[in-house]
Amino acid sequence: MTNLRPLLLAAITLLCFFFAEAENKSEYVTYRPVLSAYTLDIGTAHIADTYLSPLRYNGFSTAFSYERMQAMSFNPERWIMQLHISPEFARTLNPARNSYIYDLNIHGSWAMMARFRMPATWLTLMAGGSTGADLGMLYAPRNGNNPVSAKASWTVNATAAAVARFRLGRLPIVARYQAEMALAGVFFSPSYGELYYEISLGNHRKLAHGAWPGNYIRLNNYITTDLLFGATSLRIGYNNYIASTSASNIVTRRITHCFTFGITTEWLSLPLRNTSRFPSADARIISAMY
Amino acid sequence: MNRLPLKNILPTSIITAVAIAAILLFPACHSIEKWESDPQGNFDALWTILDEHYCFFEDKNIDWNDVYASYRSKIKKEMEADEFFNLCAEMLATLRDGHVNLSSPFNTSYYRKWWSDYPQNFNKRLIEEHYLNFDYAAAGGVIYKELPGRNVGYMRYSSFSGGIGETMLDMMLYGFRETDGLIIDIRDNGGGNMTNVEKLASRFLAERTLAGYISHKTGPGHNDFSEPFAYYFEPSKRVRWFKPVIVLTNRSTFSAANNFVSVMQYLPQVLIVGAHTGGGSGMPYTSEIPCGWSVRMSASPVYDRNMNTTEQGIAPSAGCAIDLDPEAEAQGIDTMLEFAIILLNRLAQENKPDESDRGSRSVGTMCDVGNPSAPVQIKALSF
Repeated sequence: MTNLRPLLLAAITLLCFFFAEAENKSEYVTYRPVLSAYTLDIGTAHIADTYLSPLRYNGFSTAFSYERMQAMSFNPERWIMQLHISPEFARTLNPARNSYIYDLNIHGSWAMMARFRMPATWLTLMAGGSTGADLGMLYAPRNGNNPVSAKASWTVNATAAAVARFRLGRLPIVARYQAEMALAGVFFSPSYGELYYEISLGNHRKLAHGAWPGNYIRLNNYITTDLLFGATSLRIGYNNYIASTSASNIVTRRITHCFTFGITTEWLSLPLRNTSRFPSADARIISAMY
Repeated sequence: MNRLPLKNILPTSIITAVAIAAILLFPACHSIEKWESDPQGNFDALWTILDEHYCFFEDKNIDWNDVYASYRSKIKKEMEADEFFNLCAEMLATLRDGHVNLSSPFNTSYYRKWWSDYPQNFNKRLIEEHYLNFDYAAAGGVIYKELPGRNVGYMRYSSFSGGIGETMLDMMLYGFRETDGLIIDIRDNGGGNMTNVEKLASRFLAERTLAGYISHKTGPGHNDFSEPFAYYFEPSKRVRWFKPVIVLTNRSTFSAANNFVSVMQYLPQVLIVGAHTGGGSGMPYTSEIPCGWSVRMSASPVYDRNMNTTEQGIAPSAGCAIDLDPEAEAQGIDTMLEFAIILLNRLAQENKPDESDRGSRSVGTMCDVGNPSAPVQIKALSF
């Protein structure tokens, strides 16, 4: 407990700092619109899982993504939060093109990033941490007793983004590059030759593995450009997902390269029955991204 | 020249670090062995997959490196697919394992000597014609009937892949409640789902019962095995059977059916009658080689409750080994089935239960046939 005392003190000091800063900036009313993005990812998938097969499978990948960003209430100028939920599906073929591996996965993460306005006003940098979980499976229907390789993980990640604002002719554009990298966590893997039947019999030994960059590599790269046509923007971009795990002599690798397109909206929820709470002329609207 | 303010150095550094990590991590993924898709590459892949996953090298005293040396030299860069397949099949046959198969689009290799070198000891037509009169109940993968004039219940389960319904088991066992005993004929049953083994065996359990042990490979070494894990079967909450049971077996009783025998052989009311089973106690695991052919092999050894391997099969109970006599077969008599029927009739005579144990004991709407607290100890009887 003694060892934890400095950490607790540091955490309390940090919280005091955040709230003190929030207090200073509460002289004017701020509104924090929510940026919601609904996108569809379509691209290629490259999968290998030595529990199912020693071969590399290639095919197509698709995902629906929901992203929500909002400035945080305690210090909206500096801190933003980001929620990301994405169900994903991939269908891949072996090199001989006679056997499939299907990938079903749902990814969810919540990030908190500090925003840094650069001297060049068109550029904003963000950096922070996130935590997220993946739940899914690789399914090889041809395999008899080992058709499934279940995937489950919870990780703490580092994330950083660069956001640039510029115009293409008269069209305002917001471009973003964001990377998220897993740092630590826990993930599921059966033992080398362990069948799920044995797990179903109740043998749950050594199924959870601590994750660190040596045995669990996961990196997401997002490049998005929002074309601000009006209240709704068109989002196009590129999404790259790299995951490689090694546990119990089983290596799993999943890489996708996807073209992303969809829409983004920014919205404020206002009480219709209380117009006094509508934004006044001197109110500040602090967007998460722009 | 404008200098970047100190407060902006931190985020810039983080962004740069993450971006550099993104570039560096791409090739840093964990390595996976890669083989060429020519005959030599496919052969090496096949040999390596077996080398790393097959679980009975030590039990069967097989020097897999010797096997590699013998067959690798026969693999040429240019080979016809069927020639290559036959060589691979020949190599796999050295494992003497019915669970090892190589499947190509034009052929599947099997090691058949585990049953082909022995009498078949089963004639389906004979039973259906002379014992069931082509008139029996059938549900899922099971056919059953009280044998006319013999006072014995008979059920045949041809594959543990076939469905076995709980209601069917209720109806069958309750319907047989006045008979001398039950015959479960699993001759020629090549296995199937282990869950069906538990579903059927649970009808004969008075309490939670140690069914056996299972182990698995923990790494590619031939002796990399986990601690055997004890697994248990729970008694059914539906109709259960505690009168005498005879399980009829032959060499083609294999895999999950062999596992069923390994569990049933230790139950007090059960005798194993017929021929030695075929074995197949390794749970199969599937992989593939670069040309797309799939390969299946024993990967997780299953042991009986006394930690005995049953890979080489299970012998009948003492005094219960019997073959199908071809001359009697020609006259419409299944000598193995006759042995079982007569044994059950005799056991019923020798072990006449108290009135309280006879028939059924009601438990709600369901019942136990016989007395679960004192099942007939037929192993202790002389015959």
